[in-house]
Amino acid sequence: MYSGINISQTDPRPMYLQIMEQIRARIAAGDWAAGKELPSIRALAAALNVSVITVKRAYLDLESGGVIVTRHGKGSFVADVNGLAGELKAEELDEHLAAAAGIGRLLGLTPDELAQRLRRATRTLDRK
Amino acid sequence: MTTTKHIEMRNVRKAFRFFTLEDLSLDLEPGQIMGFVGPNGAGKSTSIRLMTGLLTPDAGEVRVLGHAMPDAQAIAKRDIGFVSDDMRLFGHASVGWHMRFVASLYPGWDPQYAKALVKRFNLRIEQNVSGLSSGEHVKTVLMLALARRPRLLILDEPTSGLDPVARHEVLTELMDVLRDEDRSILFSSHNTVDVERISDRITFIDRGRLVDSNDKEDFLERWRRIQLQVPAGTTLPDLPHLVSRVADGQFVTLTTNRFSKDLVAFLGSSVREVHRMSLEEIFVANVMHHREARGE
Amino acid sequence: MNMLTRKLIAKEFYLHRWLIVGSTAAGLAGLAIAAEGAMRFNIGMLTWLTAIIAFGVMLAMLGIANERKERALQFVLSLPLSPGDYVRIKLIGLLLCYLVPWAILSAGAVVLLLVRPNLPDGLLPFALLLCGFMLANFSVVLCGALHTASEGVMTIVIIVTNMNVTLFIFLVGAVPSLNDHLHAAAPVWNDAFWIVLAAEAATLSIALSLPYFVAARRRDSI
Repeated sequence: MYSGINISQTDPRPMYLQIMEQIRARIAAGDWAAGKELPSIRALAAALNVSVITVKRAYLDLESGGVIVTRHGKGSFVADVNGLAGELKAEELDEHLAAAAGIGRLLGLTPDELAQRLRRATRTLDRK
Repeated sequence: MTTTKHIEMRNVRKAFRFFTLEDLSLDLEPGQIMGFVGPNGAGKSTSIRLMTGLLTPDAGEVRVLGHAMPDAQAIAKRDIGFVSDDMRLFGHASVGWHMRFVASLYPGWDPQYAKALVKRFNLRIEQNVSGLSSGEHVKTVLMLALARRPRLLILDEPTSGLDPVARHEVLTELMDVLRDEDRSILFSSHNTVDVERISDRITFIDRGRLVDSNDKEDFLERWRRIQLQVPAGTTLPDLPHLVSRVADGQFVTLTTNRFSKDLVAFLGSSVREVHRMSLEEIFVANVMHHREARGE
Repeated sequence: MNMLTRKLIAKEFYLHRWLIVGSTAAGLAGLAIAAEGAMRFNIGMLTWLTAIIAFGVMLAMLGIANERKERALQFVLSLPLSPGDYVRIKLIGLLLCYLVPWAILSAGAVVLLLVRPNLPDGLLPFALLLCGFMLANFSVVLCGALHTASEGVMTIVIIVTNMNVTLFIFLVGAVPSLNDHLHAAAPVWNDAFWIVLAAEAATLSIALSLPYFVAARRRDSI
C-alpha cells in the first residue's frame, strides 16, 4: 500500500519533509480521499524502514498544517476540508514561486522581468 | 503508572588497565530504537557487556527491563535478545539444531517466523554452523534472537560484514519489531547512514565518555554548516554555540549545534549557504569538539 | 533453570559425541589386545591408558578453552543464566561426559583382570588406583580450564597432569606394599591402597568444589 512512498537518504531534503510531501501529493491528486485513514505511525515507519520519530514529526506537521486530523486513540485521517486538494496544490505553487523569486534576485531580475519569464513559460506550456 | 525503562544506566564506571568507561548514563524507553555510535575503542562493547551482565560496574547502576544487572541477569535475559558480530555458535551443530535448542529454552519462540527468517536471510537449516561465513553467522544468530520475539534487543554491530541486500533485510526486520510499542532495540553501528535512518534516539560515545544523547530529529535540526563570505577587514561577531570555525580567506565555514533562524538573521548578508549535516558529519564534528573541550 | 541445565548438559554430550564414542572404542580395543597377555598386554594397556588420558585432555580443551576462543561463550552467556550457573553447568556436564567412557573403560579393565586367567588378580588394586588417578587427574584439568583464560596456563596444566600419569605408575607402582602383591593370584587390599585412594578422593573433591567457590563467583565473565 505504501510501496510508492520512497524515502531517499541521498535526497538533501530531510526525511520527514519527504514523507510530508509524498502524502500531500497523494491528497492533492485525489488518491487519498478526504476522510481516508492514514496508516498508524508505527505501521508506516516499519513499511518505509524509517524511524518512528520521523514519521511522528511528519504527521504532527501535517496536522498543524490542517492537512490531516488525528483523533486520539483512533488514528489519523485526511482532513475533510472542501478544496483541500486544491489548497495543497496552491501551496505547492507558492513554494515553487518563492524559489523562483530567490533565483531571480540572484540574477538581479526585477519583478516585471520575472513576471515576463513566467508568461513565457506559460506560453511554452500552451504550445505543447 | 510509570512504564519501566528498558535500559537505565546511571553514572556507570568501569576501569580496565588501559581504558576506563567513565560516568556513563543512558536511557532507553520501550518502543524506541537507539543508535549507539562511537569510534573504535570508545567503549561501545564495554557498555553493551555491562547491559547484558557480562561485566560488573565498578560504580553506578545498570538496570535492564527493571532488573538490576548483573545480579538479576538470569531473569532479565529471558526477555533480551543479545547479538554481537563476534558471537559464534556451536561449531559441530547445524542451524536447525540451534533452532531446536533455542526453541526449547524460550516459550516465546515462533516457529513460523523462524522459518520465514531463514528464508529471508538466505540460510540453510541443515548446514553445519562451522561452514558459515561470518556474515551468515551473524544472520543466523540474529534469526535465533528475533524468532524468540524478545522485548528488548541489544545488538553490537548487527550489520557489519553484511552485503547490502542482507543489511536491508535485517533493517526491515528490526523496524518490524518496533510495530510493537512495548518492544525496543539498542544497536551499535559504524554505519551512520543506517543509524540516521532508523534510530529514534542516538547516543554518541568517545574515549569512555558520553558525548551526546538526544532524539535523532533534534540532532538533525540543531546542527548546520553555515558558509559565509566575509569581506576583508570585517570581523565576525562573537557567536555562541559555535562548534568550529574554518576560514579560507574571505570564505568562512561555521559549524553550529544550536541552529535557529535568528542565527542566520544575525549573520545577515554574509551568509552564502546553510547546509544541513548528515549524521556522520554531526558525529565527527561532535566528537572533535568534545575532545578539544577536554583538552585531548 | 532446570530445563536449561538439562539442555546444556545434553548439548555437551551432543557436541562431544564422536569423541566419547571414539575414545571408548579405542580403549576397548586396547583391552581386547591386552587380553592376549605378555607383550600384547603392555601394548593394549598403553592404548587403553592413552585413550582415557587423551579423551580427558580433548574434552577439557574442546569443552572449555575452545568454546571461549571460538566465541560460542558469548552465545551461551546470552542465554538466561548467570556466569556462576555457566561454570556449574559446565563442570557437571563435562564431568558426566568424562564419566561415561571412564566408567566403561575402568569396568572393562577390572573385568579383564578378573576374567583372564593369564592376568594376575593381584593387579586389581593397582588398576583401581590407576583408574581413580585418571579421574582425579581429569578433575584437576577441568578445574584449571574453568579458572584460566590463558592458553599458556592451560598448556602447563595439561603437560603436568600428563607427566603425573607416568610418575604415578612408576612411583606408586614402586611402593613395596603395593609392588609386592602385583603378581599375586589374589588382590591384596592393604593400607597403602587405601591411603592412595583417599588422596585421590581428596584431590577429586577439591578440584570439583573449587570452581563453585572461585570461578563461579567471578564478576566479569569476559
